[in-house]
Amino acid sequence: MKLPLKWLKEYVDFDVTPEEFAERMLLRGFEVAEIIPEMEGISNVYVCEITAIEPHPNADKLRVCAVDIGAEEPLQIVTNAANVKVGDQVPVATDGATLHGGLKIAPTKMRGVYSAGMFCGNEELGITNIDYDNAENGGVLVFNEPHPNGQRVQEALDLDDCIFDIELTPNRPDCQSIVGICREAAAALGQRFNEPVIRRVEGYGDCTDVAQVTVKNPTLCPRYCARVVTDLNIEPSPKWMQRKLKAVGLRPINNIVDITNLVLVEYGHPMHAFDLACVADSHIVVRNAEEGERVFTLDGKERAMTADMLLIADPTKGVGIAGVMGGLNSEITPDTRATLFESAVFRPENIRSTARKLRHVTDSAARFIKGVEPVNAEKALLRAIELVDDLHAGRVMGGMIDVCSADIDEKLVRASVKHINSILNTELSAETMAELLGSINIEAVPTGDVLNIRVPHYRTDIEDSIETDWDIAEEIGRLYGYTNIGPTLMRGDTFRGRISPAFRDEDLIKDTMVALGCLELYNYNFISPAEIELLRIPEGDERRKTVKLLNPFGEDQSLMRTELAGGLIRVACLNLNRKTGFGRFFEVGNVHFDNADLPEERKHLGVIHFGSEESFFTLKGTLEALFEKLGIDNVRFERGGSEYLHPTQKAVIRVNGEVLGEIGAVHPSVRRDYGLNTEAFIAELDVERLCAHRIRVRKYAPLPKYPTVPRDIAIIVDEATEAQQVIDVILAAKVKVTVENVRLFDVYRPARPGDKGIPEGKKSMAFSYTLRSDERTLTDEDITQAFNAILKALRFRLGAELRA
Amino acid sequence: MNQELLMIQEEALRELETVSNEDELNKLSAAVLGRGGKLTAILRTMGKLSPDERAALGQAANAVKQELSDRIEQRRAELIESADRQRIEREAIDVTAPGVRRAVPMGALNPLTQVYREIRDALIGLGFTTFSGPEVEYDEYNFTLLNLPPNHPARDMQDTFYVNDKVLLRTHTSPCEARALQTIKPPFRLVIPGRCFRVDEPDASHSPIFMQIEGLVVDRNVTLADLKGTIDSFVKAVFGENVQSRLRPSYFPFTEPSAEVDISCAICGGKGCSSCKGTGWMEIMGCGVTNPHEIENCGYDPREWKAFAWGVGVDRVACLKYGISDIRLIYEGDGRFLSQFK
Repeated sequence: MKLPLKWLKEYVDFDVTPEEFAERMLLRGFEVAEIIPEMEGISNVYVCEITAIEPHPNADKLRVCAVDIGAEEPLQIVTNAANVKVGDQVPVATDGATLHGGLKIAPTKMRGVYSAGMFCGNEELGITNIDYDNAENGGVLVFNEPHPNGQRVQEALDLDDCIFDIELTPNRPDCQSIVGICREAAAALGQRFNEPVIRRVEGYGDCTDVAQVTVKNPTLCPRYCARVVTDLNIEPSPKWMQRKLKAVGLRPINNIVDITNLVLVEYGHPMHAFDLACVADSHIVVRNAEEGERVFTLDGKERAMTADMLLIADPTKGVGIAGVMGGLNSEITPDTRATLFESAVFRPENIRSTARKLRHVTDSAARFIKGVEPVNAEKALLRAIELVDDLHAGRVMGGMIDVCSADIDEKLVRASVKHINSILNTELSAETMAELLGSINIEAVPTGDVLNIRVPHYRTDIEDSIETDWDIAEEIGRLYGYTNIGPTLMRGDTFRGRISPAFRDEDLIKDTMVALGCLELYNYNFISPAEIELLRIPEGDERRKTVKLLNPFGEDQSLMRTELAGGLIRVACLNLNRKTGFGRFFEVGNVHFDNADLPEERKHLGVIHFGSEESFFTLKGTLEALFEKLGIDNVRFERGGSEYLHPTQKAVIRVNGEVLGEIGAVHPSVRRDYGLNTEAFIAELDVERLCAHRIRVRKYAPLPKYPTVPRDIAIIVDEATEAQQVIDVILAAKVKVTVENVRLFDVYRPARPGDKGIPEGKKSMAFSYTLRSDERTLTDEDITQAFNAILKALRFRLGAELRA
Repeated sequence: MNQELLMIQEEALRELETVSNEDELNKLSAAVLGRGGKLTAILRTMGKLSPDERAALGQAANAVKQELSDRIEQRRAELIESADRQRIEREAIDVTAPGVRRAVPMGALNPLTQVYREIRDALIGLGFTTFSGPEVEYDEYNFTLLNLPPNHPARDMQDTFYVNDKVLLRTHTSPCEARALQTIKPPFRLVIPGRCFRVDEPDASHSPIFMQIEGLVVDRNVTLADLKGTIDSFVKAVFGENVQSRLRPSYFPFTEPSAEVDISCAICGGKGCSSCKGTGWMEIMGCGVTNPHEIENCGYDPREWKAFAWGVGVDRVACLKYGISDIRLIYEGDGRFLSQFK
C-alpha cells in the first residue's frame, strides 16, 4: 500500500519526521517497508541560471555555458541543448548526481572542454507534463517560475514529497485504501480522524428507469450497486487527479476511468464503468459463465471461461469478467455518451480461483481476493458520482440500482473486559479500553465487565463468534502497545522439561560423528529422477517409491529423496572440485516412501568418507566407534548391499539378526557417472531401528577374579575365508574355559605363491584371544586344551592349517 | 578406392579385437580416424576425382567412418566394463575384517544443529519437552485445523509444495500444534524442531528448505505477557544477556493477538546499521496467543484452555548469530564453511 505524505496531510496534521511516523506505525502493526522520495533516485540536481553561452571550439553542436548555482564561483557546463538561452533557469546535475534510470554524473571533458555536470531534461528527471507544466519540451527543462539558484530540483518542481510503502497484513483489507490507512495513521499520530464526508449528488431522473441489474448468483455476488451518468464529456482528468494517481503508480487514462481508479485508491473498492450503449437493453446480468464461453477483455485478450467463473453480461453477451477485468466490447471510449458505474461485492474465493485459472491477477482482482465489504461498495459509488459532478464529466442520474442480499446491518458484539485482561495480562479498565478503541473510531460502551461494541462496517476481521474477545484483545493490545506489556514467566503448575529419547539418540549420534571427524550436512530433500538411475536402483526396489511434487522448481528437484547416498556423493564432488581438503561428512535426515496415504517417513544416518587416506575399513572403524558409543552390540558385517556400491567392497550391517543398513565403496562406474574422481565410501543406516537395539543402561559385570591369559594363533586358510567365520569357529570351539576378545590382527598374502610355505589361493590370518576361568587360575593344561580345541575346530570347519 | 576403404575397415576391425586397454584403443582410433589417419588420407585424395566419383567415395568413406567409430565406442564400453570387472575382482576385501580408527581432526555440527540445541536447551529449562511431526503433511493439519480453511487468502502468505490435493510439504512446524493437541493431554509445553518447505527460489536470504522451531504452551492461564517472557529468555540464551527483544503487532491466522518478534540488532547492538536498515532491530520470528478457532478445531474449549505459540526460523537465527551472509552456504556442504563451527 502506497501512502503519499501529501495525501496523508489532507486528512491529518503531520508533525513528526517520516522515520518517526514509520516507527509509530510499525508498533501498531503496519510496517513501513520503505520511505520512497517522490523523485526516486534523483540526487544532487540543483536550480542554476545560465549567465553566459559561448560556442564550443571543437564542435558545432555543443555550447559552453557559465552557470550560477548560488555558489561563489560559476560552473562551466557543456551542453548540446538548443533550447536554452542566457537568463534561463534550468536544472543541473552536479558532481556525484544520480538521475532517473541510475545514471551517475561526474565532471568530464567533452571534445576537449571541461564540463562540471549536465543540464537535465524531463527524461533525466523521470517526470512528465503531469508533474510539471511543459516538462516534455524535447530539450532541457526550463523552469516556468523564478527560483533561488542552488535550490534542490525537488523543491523547485514541488516534487519533494515522500511516499510510505506500507506492508499490510491480510486481516486488514480496510487499510488497503487511503481513507483506511489514514484512519490508523491519525491514531498513531495521536489525532482524531475525521472521515471525509461524501457530498450526495441527487441527479436528474431515476436511473432505475433506464437500466436494470439482475443477479442470478447472489452467493457469489452479495451486492451490486450501480448508477448512471449521461451526456458524458470524455477528456483527460485534471492535473491534480493525474498527479495523485501517478504518485501511487497508476497511469492516467481519461476522466471516467481515472475516477474509478482514484476511488479504488481512496476507498479500496474496485469499480468498473461500462459504456451503457454497448450493454444490450441496458440490462446487466450477473451470472455464471457457460463452460467455454469466450470474452474479450480490456487488454485485448480472448479469455475462455469455465462454469464456476462469474460473468457480467447483458441479455446477449458477456461484457466483463466479474472482479477481474471489464470487456473490450463495453469499454469507455472518447465517444461514450452514457456510462453505468458498477460497484459490487464478489466472493474472494471465487475471484481468487478465477484469476488464478486465467493467470491474470489484476489490481481489481487482488482487492476482491483480500476482501471487500458491501457498505463500502455504496460509499465508493457515491464518491465516484461526487467526482463526476466535481469534474463536470457528465450529467448524473438520480436513484441507485442496488441488488443486495448481503447483511449490511451494523454488527454489535460484546467482549469481556476481564477476559481481555487475562489474555493480555493487563489491568485495563473498561473505560480505558473504550477510549483506546475510540481512537480508531470503534465505538465501545462499557456495562460492568462487558464492552458493547459497534463494529464499523469496514472491520470485517472482528467476528461475532467465540473469537470476539481475542479480536478485541488484539486491538486493545495493539493500541495500548505491546511494549507496555511487561514480560512474565509462566506461573501455575511446574513442568519437568525433557528431551525425548529419539532426540537424545540423534544428539548422541551427531556428537559421536563429530568426534570421529565428520562435518554435518543438511542436504536438500529434493532429488532428480535421474538420481534413481545414477544410483542403479533396481525396478521394484522400495527406493523407487518416491514422493512426487506437483509443483517442483523443475524436473531435477521433483522427487523427495528415498536415500541419503546421492546427496553425499554430490557433496564429495563439490568438495573435491573446490579442493577443500575435507573428506568426512555425515547427515541425519528424513527419507520418504510413497507407500501410504501420508508417505512413510524414516530417519536415516548417512556417512561418507573419501580421499586417499580413507578406505572401507576407515569407514567401518567410524561405524564401530559409533556402535560402541550407542551401546549396540552384536553387529555383523555381511557381504551384500545396494547396486551403487562396489560389488566386492560392500556389506550389509546386521544387528541382532536385523539388517539396519549398509556400507561400501561407491561402485567405480557410479563414481564415473557422478564425475567423482576419488574413491568414496558410504554407509547409510535407519536411525530409529538402529537405536531400538541400544543398550541404554549397561549392567555391571563383575571383574575377573583370576588372571586372563592372552594367546595368538596364526593359520593358513582359503583366500575366501572371512575373519568373521574364523571368529565364529573359535568362539564355538569346545574349550573348557572362557574364550573372549577374539580379534584379527594380521593378514598375510605371499608376494609369490609358495612364499613362506603358503600355497596359491591361500592366505595367513593371525588372531589374538584371551582365556580365563571364573573358578581358578588357568594351568598350562587348560591353555593347551584350549589351543588344541580351537585348532581342531578350525581344521574341521574351515580346512585351516596352523602356520608354522 | 573402394577396395582400399574396405581393406582399412577390415584391418581396423581385426585390430580392434586385439586391443586390450583404452590407451591402445585411442591409438587405434587415431591411426584410422584421426587427422593423420588412414581414412583421412584417402579423403584427402578425393580432390583429384570427378564430382560423381567424389560423391560415391565420400558416401562410402562416411559409412566406413561411422561403422568404425561405432565399433570403437562399443569396444570402449566393453573395455571399461572389463576393466571395472577386473578391478572389482582385484579389489575384493574381507568386509568382516576389523575397521581402522584414524586419528582425525574434530568434525563439526552444522550451525543449524547448534542453534537448534541452544534454543531447545533454554526451553527445556523452562519445562518444555521435545515433540515432532511429519515433514510431508496433510493439508488439513498444515492449514485447515489452524484456522486456514481452503481458499483462505492468507494461504497465499506461504507458497506451498503440493504432493496432491490433500498432501503437501509442511510450510511451517505449526501442524505439529494440531497433532500435539490431538495426542497429548494439556497442560503441556512443547518445543518442536523440524524442516519446512516453501516455494522460494534459493537466494542469499531464502531457501526452499529451512528449519523451524515451534514452541507451544497449552495451559489454563497463559497470557501474552508469558509469551513475551518466554521468548525473551531464549533470545537471551541464544544471543546473550544484553540482547533485547520486543513484540510488535502482526497477523497470523493461527494466533490472536499475533506479533512479530524483533531483537536488538546483533551487528550494531541497536545503534542502527546497514544490516538492520538503521532501525536497530531485526525481525526474527512470528508468535502469538493461539487462535481460539484452532483450539476449538482440535477439540478443546478455548475459554478453558489458553495457548501461545511461536515459530522461529533456525536458519535466520544462525545467520544473525554467526554473521552468515548467504543462507545457501548452510545447505551446500562445503567443508571450509562447515569446519568453521567447531
